[in-house]
Amino acid sequence: MRIPIDRYTLENGLRVVLSEDHTTPVVAVNLWYNVGSRNELPGKTGLAHLFEHMMFQGSQNVGEPGHIALVERAGGNLNGSTWLDRTNYYDTVPSDQLELALWLESDRMGFFVPALTQEKFDTQREVVKNERRQRVEHAPYGDWDERIQAMVYPDDHPYHHSVIGSMVDLDAASLDDVREFFETYYVPNNAVLTLCGDFDPAEARRLIEAYFGPFPRGPEIPPLPGRPVPEPLKIGREVRAEVEDPKVPLARLYLAWRIPPYGEPEYYAADLLAELLAGGKSTRLYRTTVRERRLARGIGAFTFPVITGASAFLVRGNVPAGGDARALEAAVFEEIDRISTHGPDAAEMERALTGLEARHILDLQKPSERADTLSMLTTYFDDPERINTELDRYRAVTADDVRRLAREYLGADNRVALTYLQPALQEAA
Amino acid sequence: MSTTPLDRSRVPAPGPLRPYHFPRVDRRTLSNGLSVLVAEQRNFPIATFDLVLPAAGGAADTDDQAGLAGLTASLLESGAGERDADELAEAIDDLGLSLDAGLTWDTTQVGFTALRSRAAEGFGILADVVRRPTFPDDEVERLRVERVASVTQRRGTPSSLAEEVASRYVFAEGVDYRRPLGGLARTVGGLHRAQVEAFHAAHYRPQTAALVAAGDVSADEVAELAERWLGDWTGAPPPLAEPPVRPGLERTTIVIAHRPGAVQSEIRVSHVGIERAAPDFFAVSVLNSILGGVFSSRLNLNLRERLGYTYGVSSSFGSRRRPGVFSATTSVQTETTAHSVSEMLREMREIREAPVTDAELADARDFLAGIFPQGVQTTDGVSGKLATIFTYGLPDDYYAHYREGIRAVTADEVLDAARRRLWPDRAAVVIAGDADVIRGPLEELGIGPVEVVEAASLG
Repeated sequence: MRIPIDRYTLENGLRVVLSEDHTTPVVAVNLWYNVGSRNELPGKTGLAHLFEHMMFQGSQNVGEPGHIALVERAGGNLNGSTWLDRTNYYDTVPSDQLELALWLESDRMGFFVPALTQEKFDTQREVVKNERRQRVEHAPYGDWDERIQAMVYPDDHPYHHSVIGSMVDLDAASLDDVREFFETYYVPNNAVLTLCGDFDPAEARRLIEAYFGPFPRGPEIPPLPGRPVPEPLKIGREVRAEVEDPKVPLARLYLAWRIPPYGEPEYYAADLLAELLAGGKSTRLYRTTVRERRLARGIGAFTFPVITGASAFLVRGNVPAGGDARALEAAVFEEIDRISTHGPDAAEMERALTGLEARHILDLQKPSERADTLSMLTTYFDDPERINTELDRYRAVTADDVRRLAREYLGADNRVALTYLQPALQEAA
Repeated sequence: MSTTPLDRSRVPAPGPLRPYHFPRVDRRTLSNGLSVLVAEQRNFPIATFDLVLPAAGGAADTDDQAGLAGLTASLLESGAGERDADELAEAIDDLGLSLDAGLTWDTTQVGFTALRSRAAEGFGILADVVRRPTFPDDEVERLRVERVASVTQRRGTPSSLAEEVASRYVFAEGVDYRRPLGGLARTVGGLHRAQVEAFHAAHYRPQTAALVAAGDVSADEVAELAERWLGDWTGAPPPLAEPPVRPGLERTTIVIAHRPGAVQSEIRVSHVGIERAAPDFFAVSVLNSILGGVFSSRLNLNLRERLGYTYGVSSSFGSRRRPGVFSATTSVQTETTAHSVSEMLREMREIREAPVTDAELADARDFLAGIFPQGVQTTDGVSGKLATIFTYGLPDDYYAHYREGIRAVTADEVLDAARRRLWPDRAAVVIAGDADVIRGPLEELGIGPVEVVEAASLG
């Protein structure tokens, strides 16, 4: 199975990826801007995400009822999301509405500033603060990633702070910040546009040129703030934190190690290791910590697919009522030590690859997912073809690569342990 | 190349509409009574298979053994046929199957999605898991303890807590839907292996069940697999009790599930909803879309975009074999709780008073009709639709005509649906939040009695 790809670049630097599939009369329009929370300056945390909210508040030619209502009434759905390295926007619409999606996305790329008002900004600031309250402050373990980022990455690294940002910085943000952010980062030469699904390629090229072609190339993108590459890559010690929180129904453990970024060969070894440690019920961690020793109620391992200097390898486990977070932690370290010493066996390497392969293909079924992956690979690596070769990178990993990765990076001198605990034992119900 | 200059000031008109047809549904019945429904969709080398067991859903539980159906489903992967738990897990992972056993009020569904090349082998495992689970003692014990913990954890999450409390007020005593689908710590804690085994032996039977399959596979291939692996499976499950659904409240009542110090209030405005096979299902879908089903709904434009009280608000009619729960759902900043509640109830009242506008009607119909193909882009999306057809007795061409059904809904039908299906004066307004802060303002609203419950007192 091969995903077809046609890529080109407009005069103004906008990179375009086209991928046809006529199974359903739906087209996914996906736009990535190469800017995320990593680009935020000190005192401006949360700005990239607050900005993303403002992108739905209209542009010069898109007034009432607004971007969202126009896509919904066309029978489409849409959203945007902000992460450490990027911000994405996507509209998935019936294929006869392709031009609507291109009109909407181009209008906010080209004519965003004239539509800004203080009133819209004030409302969206409140929405974002409520998003923070709901997701981070009110939800059990809701601040885990904020805490983990601060522990894994040094103060001057762009990943040290969370995407949602602090309440203080959100309160201090101004309309001028929004305008400046737009003029700096929301330029054609800092974006990737992908179409995936049911469209006519010649017609799509014509419409893209008409809607996006006239925009001038923007200025060069400023370098990232702080020190984007941690030097040395490893943390150099163990960092621990315990959080007592009455909202927490069960204790939970997060472990993290700093590893090379997404794209490096070691990253693929780490991702494969995550799969073979906890990807299914046949895995080492599931078998030992969940099924046999019952130290955990559910266990997971994963990597952050981030590209700025360093990524992280993570293990997350829920501690059963009356259980011991330290015992779970020790059991995880034991399995990792075993991998560092002996490496994985051939059967579990094969199984992990099979799992990754199946999931890769399943995930790409939806044109919207395919479009997002194509935009990502183009934004990060300038290479959408990687969608067809990414699995080869995993197949190239040997058992010894995994052993060396674990030995080099997953030791006590490079790890973070965050534990959520209940403040005190409650009366048994 | 077109020479017309681009006019950005106008919304572009749609191009020619491209046709879409839901895949044809092939239905057969095996001699043991098992229905087999298949829809081909061959753009990716993937197939999904699901065994749908309506006799083993949450409604098959009794009050004092609530959680038995869920515990049984969760134990299917703990050993089956000749394989113990570890061997079974290895067999599943060797094939890269995403095998899953899920419980709703109306079914237990066990199935998997796999690359086509591994589907036949996967099917043998699925048959083992459904027909010959071994329920080892240590696994029963482990999962029983895990599920008790999960009930505890559920109450720590504001949304789950609010939903659990809402069900108790929405339905009258004696209605099964009053209890949580997964059971209570007390009932799950008391379950043991013999009950699991007996439940499986009685309820996992082919007579009222179906195999649904979708993707890169033909109806003949599926029928062959079904004959080979399920052909000698026999028996009929006991009939379901299905007590009639009666509402629990005579008037709107505010219930605070106290969470000291909460920075937000998790709100549910809930009452009895509709059954999935209701004749006005399409009108209710359009109604819900306008009220709270999409981003540009009345509720969300008001509470989020106008007032900025919340990250989002939505509504839904959870439709089951019998009438489920209608809920308007949001999470708001604590200080705005009382005003949010009164605005939510006001929106529910207003949509019952006057017909929706032509624009609202057109937008909602176009949204629902247009979005439909997005739900069937994956093989498990299509198999899910087949499961719905089977479980609720809908015609096989139901989804082939779904978009026409939606487009035919009128403003009068929406008004009629609103008047019959929305009950702002008979709702449970449940709020997981800080009672010390929100109780006074809620009492001042004067819309109904205000009660406070503690999570620990829920039993």
